[in-house]
Amino acid sequence: MTAMPILFTLVAALTLGAALLVVTTRNLVHAALWLVLALFGVAVFFVLLSAGFLAVAQVVIYIGAIAVLMIFAIMLTRRIARDAGPQVNPNWGWALLITALFFGGLVWMVFQWPGALATQPELNPALDTVQELGKALVSPGAYLIPFEVASVLLLAALIGAIMIAWERK
Amino acid sequence: MFLAILPELSILLVGLVILFLDMILPKERGNTLGWVAAVGLFLLIAVNLLVARPGSEPRLVWGGMLRHDWMGFVFKMMFMFSAAITSLFIMEVNRIGKNGEFYLLMLASTLGMCLMASASDLIMLYLAIETTSIPLYVLAGFLKHDDKSTEAGFKYLLFGAMTSAIMLYGLSLLYGFAGTTNLYALVASFGEQQISDVVLFGSLLLVLVGFGFKISVVPLHFWAPDVYEGAPTPVAGFLSTASKAAGFAVLLRVLMIAFPNLIPYWGAVIAALSTATMTLGNLLALTQKNIKRLLAYSSIAHAGYALIGLVAVSTLGITSVVFYLVVYIVTNLAAFGAVAALGRVAGSDEVAAYAGLSRRSPWLALAMLVAFLSLAGMPPFGGFVVKFVVFAAAVQADMIWLAVVGVLNSIIGLYYYLTVLKVVYLYRSEDEEKPLPIPGSYQLAIIVLAIGIVVLGTVLAPWFSLTSGAAQAIF
Amino acid sequence: MIPLSWYLVFSAALFSIGLFGVLSRKNAIAILMGVELMLNAVNINLVSFWRYRTPELIAGQVFAIIVFAVAAAEVAVGLALIISIYRRRNTIVADDIDMLKF
Repeated sequence: MTAMPILFTLVAALTLGAALLVVTTRNLVHAALWLVLALFGVAVFFVLLSAGFLAVAQVVIYIGAIAVLMIFAIMLTRRIARDAGPQVNPNWGWALLITALFFGGLVWMVFQWPGALATQPELNPALDTVQELGKALVSPGAYLIPFEVASVLLLAALIGAIMIAWERK
Repeated sequence: MFLAILPELSILLVGLVILFLDMILPKERGNTLGWVAAVGLFLLIAVNLLVARPGSEPRLVWGGMLRHDWMGFVFKMMFMFSAAITSLFIMEVNRIGKNGEFYLLMLASTLGMCLMASASDLIMLYLAIETTSIPLYVLAGFLKHDDKSTEAGFKYLLFGAMTSAIMLYGLSLLYGFAGTTNLYALVASFGEQQISDVVLFGSLLLVLVGFGFKISVVPLHFWAPDVYEGAPTPVAGFLSTASKAAGFAVLLRVLMIAFPNLIPYWGAVIAALSTATMTLGNLLALTQKNIKRLLAYSSIAHAGYALIGLVAVSTLGITSVVFYLVVYIVTNLAAFGAVAALGRVAGSDEVAAYAGLSRRSPWLALAMLVAFLSLAGMPPFGGFVVKFVVFAAAVQADMIWLAVVGVLNSIIGLYYYLTVLKVVYLYRSEDEEKPLPIPGSYQLAIIVLAIGIVVLGTVLAPWFSLTSGAAQAIF
Repeated sequence: MIPLSWYLVFSAALFSIGLFGVLSRKNAIAILMGVELMLNAVNINLVSFWRYRTPELIAGQVFAIIVFAVAAAEVAVGLALIISIYRRRNTIVADDIDMLKF
């Protein structure tokens, strides 16, 4: 099985490259398109991790809704999308330093933990994770409350967003 | 099981009624929605106090998502109380008070706070924090024709989104290390897996970034003055009381329940944060000319005082934090209420606008006197008692230096609170013949709060036993 | 086979890139994009922990779904606020919203 590490490295490099372009490219529309690619890379990882449902949700929600919403917002505020000035604030050097230290700290933490070297256990073939997930989300003995609260949150966000963005003529 | 979430269900019920009324009432509806929200919440608080009190044995309910205990219950009642008072204040604010959406969002946020106070699972905890924050971003930016307000909402959202993402990373690591998301099962799992302290502490620091943002401790405080200044005044009051208290509720529970083994580490961090928060908050408050910014820095300082109780890591310490928050909510709501009452007439939040207030409206001036002296920690008001209890907890835990820092800070605090009161009582202004009209809902709310401040400061035993019961119930 | 650490390091890198975007970008929408990268990194963490550590407990996947919902809500509100500011001032460059200035 040497195919997996190669696949992993390829997808990881592609995703991280796209992510880097998201945070550095000047043109915001391009940044949004790179974001779509990075999100797609994450969906591929969900497939590698045998979470097929999440991969689909990632494509539908993140790419289909969130990224498209961002592209709409960029279009609506277009005058600044082609802003000629620098797209980073003057403190970006500090930001880079903080981020590098942060990354170093996280990686160090991961390797302090012996569990990080674990390999993938076999999935129980009798277990249908999508079914399990669906049941868990609606059973009172599991995640019913978070599921319902999430719906309240989405409703509140919907009302709030319309409220703020809607201009009464 | 349903009794455990009765406060949340009550809030949803009020929200549904408002949603319905918002649709059927005509445009000239007066303050119906505000009164419905306030009266409904007060009635439901009474109902909850009668039937939904938790038993003496705390229980995990709903698949371990929530814990039905006194700690959560005390906080939930406080959040509902703050929301009711905020409804009383907001109904007279132009372009907001008659908006059904405002009350819905405020109730959604209150629902999130209630869940924060009783969440016992990392998933529930994260969702509750976001359910609290996201509607608050909208509320802060609700005055969409006001540059300062939209910018306040926006700034709040950007900082909030960033810090909550960092916190979420920490939560995901905790889940990964432990293999469980239940707060009460984390300790045992950490022990079984023999996770080293340093790794756990690193993840905890990430989580503390998110909590620190909610309670605005010092390195993460800088959003507070701008947001409080820009947000509608009653919303600023709500942010500085209920939202902050909810942050404390999760902070207490997570630190005490999931990380008892790391007390030497986080104790030191919290002690440092507490000192920095008190000192910087008070020093920066000294120079403020805008009363909302002044109250913002003062509320930062108060978060520092409350953290002293947490550093003490004892039942008395936790009691003192809860007690402190109860008094702080009542007092700060009164302070922001007085500011809103004047601001809606004067159209200004500068301290200078308070000149001659004692002649324009002696009763409002008196309410400000009570609220500010309580914030400053003067007897016989609630603020004195709770400062005393917090410092006592520090002394009991052999942290005398922290108590001394707290006392010194209280003296700085006294200075700027008195400066405001000096303007209110001694300065003259040209408008002082003009009486200050105060709407009925403001009168009601401010009277309730002022009486609350005095009662909390004079009748101690029931409050102390209530909060110490809450403190014992989290374990 | 791929050890868990690969995923964790990848997620840390993605998270840090997102954080860099949030700290260094001037444009508000670009800052939100950085936040989205950070949330995606968390989801990689959650799902890989689920797969490697507790495949029989569904908690990690539920957590990831909740993160989806929160991210959607956050973006909706964030973009609404951005559009509202843009309407008032014709700019969304967060000059005074410099994250490192305090």
